Amino acid sequence: MYVIVSPRLGTPGDKFEPVEGTNIDALLSAGLISTDKPKKSSKVKAEPEQE
Amino acid sequence: MATSVYLSSPGLEINNVDLTDQCTAASITYTVEALENTAFGSTARTYTAGLANNSITVTLYQSYAATETEASIYALVGTTTTIELSPTVAGLTTPSATSPKYTLTGAYLESHTPINASLGELSTIDLTFTGGTLTKATS
Repeated sequence: MYVIVSPRLGTPGDKFEPVEGTNIDALLSAGLISTDKPKKSSKVKAEPEQE
Repeated sequence: MATSVYLSSPGLEINNVDLTDQCTAASITYTVEALENTAFGSTARTYTAGLANNSITVTLYQSYAATETEASIYALVGTTTTIELSPTVAGLTTPSATSPKYTLTGAYLESHTPINASLGELSTIDLTFTGGTLTKATS
């Protein structure tokens, strides 16, 4: 899955759905799209309770 | 009878990238090569259809800013891609009989001029995409 980076391809952050024959490598190398990476959980380590 | 004319303002996407606002000229050449099949006894030359040999030529303003012309084109040299052209920008997403969308799939970009500069002029580049299959969508 690819994600739009450049507004020239659509809304940044949206899933990129290429038309037939699209050169994905060229888009990736130009930074116009990116590969989707699973988001890491935003758990924050709780501070130890003070007594 | 009123004459219908068209003020050039096409929409252009190269490799899915909308470069309409950098484009100043665009043309599609739809060609099916003619193979001669004239034979003895014929009184005139005759031809039959050979291979399609399509091309799209565009002129773009050059820009080295992020995600602009140079970034979009440079990596395409020596590869094939898809180009979409319509008489109007709207035709790219919603083609119609009066604003068809032409798609050249599998077109090869042989060359590009990363720097094409002249004193006192805005830099432009000319690109020719050759080969591939041309389709016309009206809906």
